[in-house]
Amino acid sequence: MSAGGPGGEAVSAETANQVDAKGIGVGLIGIYIAAIAADAGIPYLIFLAGIGAVFATKMGADAVRRVCSYGIGTGVPSIGMLALGMGLISAMFGLAFGAMIGVSYVGPIVGLVVALVIGFVVGTLANKIIKLNIPVMERCLMEIAGAGVLVMTGLSVMIAGSMDFVVISEKVIVTGYIAPVFILGALGILHPFNASLGPDETQDRTLVHAYSVGAIAMVIAGVCSIAVIDPIAGIISTVVGLAIWYVTFMGFVKLVKRDAGAGYVGTGLLPPGAM
Amino acid sequence: MDPAMGMGLVALMGAAATVAGCSEDLESDIGSQSNPNSQVQLAAQVGYPHRIFNKAISGEPPSNAMYCAVGAGVAMVLMSESVMSASPLIAIAIGAFVAALLNGVFSTTSYLGRNASQTRFNQYVYLDVLRNQILSLMGHAYITTFCIVLISYVMWNQNLIGHPFPFPVIALIWGLCVGAIGSSTGDVHYGAEREFQDFKFGSGLNAADSGNITRFAEAGVRSSMDNAWFCSKFGGPATGIAFGMVVFLDNWRSTAFSGWTAVVVGVVIVLVLVIYNRKVETYARKKYGPFPEYAGDIEA
Repeated sequence: MSAGGPGGEAVSAETANQVDAKGIGVGLIGIYIAAIAADAGIPYLIFLAGIGAVFATKMGADAVRRVCSYGIGTGVPSIGMLALGMGLISAMFGLAFGAMIGVSYVGPIVGLVVALVIGFVVGTLANKIIKLNIPVMERCLMEIAGAGVLVMTGLSVMIAGSMDFVVISEKVIVTGYIAPVFILGALGILHPFNASLGPDETQDRTLVHAYSVGAIAMVIAGVCSIAVIDPIAGIISTVVGLAIWYVTFMGFVKLVKRDAGAGYVGTGLLPPGAM
Repeated sequence: MDPAMGMGLVALMGAAATVAGCSEDLESDIGSQSNPNSQVQLAAQVGYPHRIFNKAISGEPPSNAMYCAVGAGVAMVLMSESVMSASPLIAIAIGAFVAALLNGVFSTTSYLGRNASQTRFNQYVYLDVLRNQILSLMGHAYITTFCIVLISYVMWNQNLIGHPFPFPVIALIWGLCVGAIGSSTGDVHYGAEREFQDFKFGSGLNAADSGNITRFAEAGVRSSMDNAWFCSKFGGPATGIAFGMVVFLDNWRSTAFSGWTAVVVGVVIVLVLVIYNRKVETYARKKYGPFPEYAGDIEA
């Protein structure tokens, strides 16, 4: 048994298909609306790319939850890093491919497809060659890589205000804003399950937490975009991110109260019998 | 650059790194992150509910990389001419403050989340534990981030060292580095030494003893804050010296020498340290070990 996981398939109220549909759907739609609007001269809708990244974060966190409930205890942080590693490569490949053929709008979709392929290959290697024998491994690694690519693309588009590889590489990579985006994206995917690790973990609590960490990444990306694109657009993204964070964080605390039950106390000695 | 100025910068970076290493280790000890965390996490499951802070923000390297990258990113936004051209020190201070706020949020969610997920083991969520430790965690994270972002700024600034990498990426790398050193150097002092100090040298560490880290005085008189008291005697300063030496020696060799000479000096430093470490290890084994009664036939 892992350091806290019950071992075996995770209990879910929201099915994997629902989470994936929302993650990929909202993720891509948000990124495209934001980029098309910014290209049309309206940068104020750029926060939609951040909202897409928040939903993609949730999809990644749910996949981490499902694969890690098979007893990958200390591997949770590693799998988050793996996600963004696969995501970064695929995202940059997709955007560069878009620039190469001269149609920058195909970037996120190409990146997503590449990520799914990489995720499948990595999952197959882990299951068949290293013989981890986790039934959901291939699918979860595909989801994690897909979430990684959408988070990276969403936050990069949010900072650069464009889907053009040249603009993103100049404004996000050369300036170094890729560093907070990368690490916050990774923590958004790994932290929700890692922070809820234990046999009484519940899906709704973990996923609300994923929204809140995704919103933190959105806030920081919004702050970075103040210096890069329009300051007002950056401030709008930051404020929207803060609002999402506040609502979801309070929701998380409420679910902690629900799950801890009588154990949610202001202070006190250890429970009877524990000494 | 003037050699005296170069050496001064190297000394400044070494000093900042020493402070950063020390505060990073104490921060992770108060929160029981990484090495000790598995013992705190297991304690409730082996029948020892506890009042120790359970701060699981991934491992220390990613979490510190996050604080430092965010701190540097925010500082860079403030310093950029299109925003407010803030002075570097103020920008770094504000960036470190934002990073400390993130530390507070992530610490809170991991304490609440992990303890709520262990309800069946009678593990309570104590809000006073959260309130008492959170500000000291954030304070230590602030010091760490400030020092690391300062080092990164000195390395990145074109008039000082002029490293080709962007500012937040340098901060990310140094954040990973300080987290890794804190995790491998200082946490051993808290995780192994404090928990197992009544065990004989070389007797091995039984997994069933894991929960003990939260027992005895830790169950009442002491709190997680006292881990900082214990670890500031040795673990924190040792981490600080380790990280300070990494930063100082690495920058010293590339400032004082150039080209292949710097590479050779680096190899020599590594060799000297390897030999020295081996000497210390064999000395300790001869002096304190091996465990005399162990015959090699004890059932695990």
